[in-house]
Amino acid sequence: MRDVLRILAAPLLWLASFTAVYGLHGLICGHGIDGEIVGLMSLQRVLMATAWLLAIGAQTALLWALHAPRFASPSPFVGFVSRGTGWVGLVASVWTLFPAVATTYCL
Amino acid sequence: MNALERHRKLTAIWASQPGMARWFSTVNHSDVGKLFLVTAGFFFLVGGVLAMLIRAQLATPHSAFAGPEIYNQIFTMHGTIMMFLFAIPTFEGLAMYLLPKLLGTRDLAFPRLSAYGYWCYVFGGTMLLASMVLGIAPDGGWFMYPPLTGPLYSPGINTDFWLIGITFVEISAIAAAVEITVSILKYRAPGMSLDKMPIFAWYALVTALMILTGFPPLILGSILLELERAFGLPFFQADLGGDSLLWQHLFWLFGHPEVYIIFLPAAGVISTVLPVMCRTTILGYGWIVASAVALAFLSFGLWVHHMFTTGIPHMGLAFFSAASTLVAVPTGVQIFAWIGTMWKGRPNLRMPMLHLLGFFFTFVIGGLTGVMVAIVPFDWQAHDTAFITAHLHYVLFGGFVFPILAGLYYWLPQVTGRRRFFRLGELAFALIFIGFHVTFLAMHWVGLLGQRRRISTYLPEDGWTTINLISSIGSFVLAIGIAMVIIDLVLQALTARRSPRNPWNAGTLEWAMMKPPPAYNFASLPHVTSREPVTDDPQMAIRLARGEGYLGDPGRGWRESLTVDIASGKPDFHVIYPTNTRLPIVMAAVTGVFFLSLLLKFYWTVPLAVIGVAALAWRWAWSLGRKADLAPQLIGRDIELPNATGVDRSPSWWGSLFLLTANATFFGSLLFGFAFLWTVAPGWPPPAWFAASAVEVGLGMAGATLAVVGIRRALRANLMDGDVRLWLAVTFAGVLAMGIAAGGVILRAPTPGEHAYGATLLVLGGYAFFHAALAALMVAFLAARVALGFTSPVRRAEFPVVNLWIDYLAGVSTLILIVAHLPGWLT
Repeated sequence: MRDVLRILAAPLLWLASFTAVYGLHGLICGHGIDGEIVGLMSLQRVLMATAWLLAIGAQTALLWALHAPRFASPSPFVGFVSRGTGWVGLVASVWTLFPAVATTYCL
Repeated sequence: MNALERHRKLTAIWASQPGMARWFSTVNHSDVGKLFLVTAGFFFLVGGVLAMLIRAQLATPHSAFAGPEIYNQIFTMHGTIMMFLFAIPTFEGLAMYLLPKLLGTRDLAFPRLSAYGYWCYVFGGTMLLASMVLGIAPDGGWFMYPPLTGPLYSPGINTDFWLIGITFVEISAIAAAVEITVSILKYRAPGMSLDKMPIFAWYALVTALMILTGFPPLILGSILLELERAFGLPFFQADLGGDSLLWQHLFWLFGHPEVYIIFLPAAGVISTVLPVMCRTTILGYGWIVASAVALAFLSFGLWVHHMFTTGIPHMGLAFFSAASTLVAVPTGVQIFAWIGTMWKGRPNLRMPMLHLLGFFFTFVIGGLTGVMVAIVPFDWQAHDTAFITAHLHYVLFGGFVFPILAGLYYWLPQVTGRRRFFRLGELAFALIFIGFHVTFLAMHWVGLLGQRRRISTYLPEDGWTTINLISSIGSFVLAIGIAMVIIDLVLQALTARRSPRNPWNAGTLEWAMMKPPPAYNFASLPHVTSREPVTDDPQMAIRLARGEGYLGDPGRGWRESLTVDIASGKPDFHVIYPTNTRLPIVMAAVTGVFFLSLLLKFYWTVPLAVIGVAALAWRWAWSLGRKADLAPQLIGRDIELPNATGVDRSPSWWGSLFLLTANATFFGSLLFGFAFLWTVAPGWPPPAWFAASAVEVGLGMAGATLAVVGIRRALRANLMDGDVRLWLAVTFAGVLAMGIAAGGVILRAPTPGEHAYGATLLVLGGYAFFHAALAALMVAFLAARVALGFTSPVRRAEFPVVNLWIDYLAGVSTLILIVAHLPGWLT
């Protein structure tokens, strides 16, 4: 079962972070969190960008773990597939959550 | 013992009952798989006839063929039948029939569950068909959007047929998904490690996991909408704290993955059949597996692309647009792997290959229009037009029907033992291919000219007349092609010549047995050392028939198989299957009484049906097990294995784990719905919060702790041959306390009929209470088993199963108590 989990871990993490960021966006817009400026960016942008970076950071850490001998599968096949899905998780996090720093939030 | 004697003995052990009784009592995977496929084929024909009625209606302007009311029923039932009663059951049937043969084993993990799922499908599908015959079929479109389908705008019984009938049918999908998942992970030939699994098994595994996580949101949505319709709980009514968009979220959380749930098994067929047709091996096995997993997950991040026109903020649109474009990448990886396979091999243009080429041409166009509608500005223009209808048919017909037809022709000799003789199939393919593209290319065009989907008629001056007529003619050509396929297949099955054992020179294990396959599949189980064991050892079928594999001695008279370690494929447990029984059909019928009572509002029969199902489930579980310990069994090659009743991680434990995965998705969707309404719906905060109670929370938490500790101590006491009764009593008391705390949430939920807040609390409380009742039944069952001597330190498998359910109950009860009581405290 550990090998199956290795294969599923990164996409699961993407799904969780994608849903969480979308939920955060809903909270920001639903509860009217606006107006506060932190540095040069609005609070909404800071929250969304932080969430995006956290998602990317978590995926990067997981990908590193899937490559590390300590956590990697002893099976070459499972190692290949889990690293493949690890890259999918990372690329998906970068691409699908990129709008967090690129578009308007609640329009 | 020679091969013939072994065959006779194994047949006596594994065969279904003779005569008509066979079809009502069989639990054999080949029988149930064929039943699924034939029934799904029947529903495909019904759905096809409805499609022809739609095209007859739209062939000319001002059509009086069907009035709007009947037309609404026709297109709703067409979509519903094709999605729920044809596509998914076809996957279930194909997987049930093929998987044990491909995996080198004798049956699926839970044979009775397969049969129960089949009968739920038949009875649920019959309910929907009956509604159509009576002229009261669902008429709100296959995705049933409220408020149109709410009690205010659809007061009749039509919508209830859909909500209740489909939920009934979905029991079958969940049952099949649990069955398929456990079977693939645990029931394989020794030596078949994950990297040696047939590629179809990977696709089936991914699809089954998607069903377990994709269907629960729809089941939840259906329950909530039915509660709104039957009891006035306003989950989707904006003026009472509900929101009709919640339905769209729940529906498409299921609905978009559903597209891939339909496509992925077909992709499994392609990946299996294509290399054989090209006389080579699949290119990029690991890439394909990774792509299938990626596709499955990405498909869960696309659901809002069906809701681009609902006024969602730009950022939300951009998230889902980005995810929708990304999903094309793993799909493309698979397409290129298949093209590479053709390039690598020497394609042979035999009948299955024709349909595979039809798939390529059609599906790629559907995929490209999919990328078009993933782009928000284009979607805003094309949304709800015939362009979308055309797109989805290119994806689903191209991505499912063509590959399934290829699979039918490919496995026909495996199922019937006969080879193709008549040549109707080639002509049928040409008619299907031409008819399909004429129908749906035209539909793209008329959609871009502005024709909305689901309109019952149009005006001559709209300028759509010629295109619609061409589309309708194409659809009738397509229908003639499908009819010819059926005639061809029936003729082949009944009259064609005997087929050699392996007519395609394929390398997978389903060709290493006699044709048609015997009830036991393999006289002895193979030891697998590669992905194409039959290519490596062309004499494998003969050696297995001689009993040179595992479990080749039928002397014990049991239906025996074995399980393996998930990763390595090393044999780990010996399994004894149940035999033929009518329990599945009886239990499905009683389950049907439950659903029918809800539909007809005979509420006094609902508790009777619930008690009936519980009693039958008790009997179901009771009939397994024995009163004496079973020694480790010799399975051949000097290997002894313990029986699965004597281990912690038994097949039942795995089944429970995956059932609870689906259950947790249901619960997560419920919490999502609660958060969504709270955050987005108008009319919040509610008029009154739930009055928090420290006593109820304390009782629930204490109960959770008692139950979790009690069942663990009971498990340990059983292992040490001690007295478990005290600890089972403690567990029962804990479960009772959780039930009482859940009852508090139900009874004190503030005015459930007047605001969605109270209604949601009522459902949350009901969920916890239901699970408490279920856990109480399980603990009582375990106590009865202990009392009557069915357990021992060796026969311990039932304790971890109950432990799993108790842990789940404790987790959800605690969460529900927090969700219910915390806002009251904070305010």
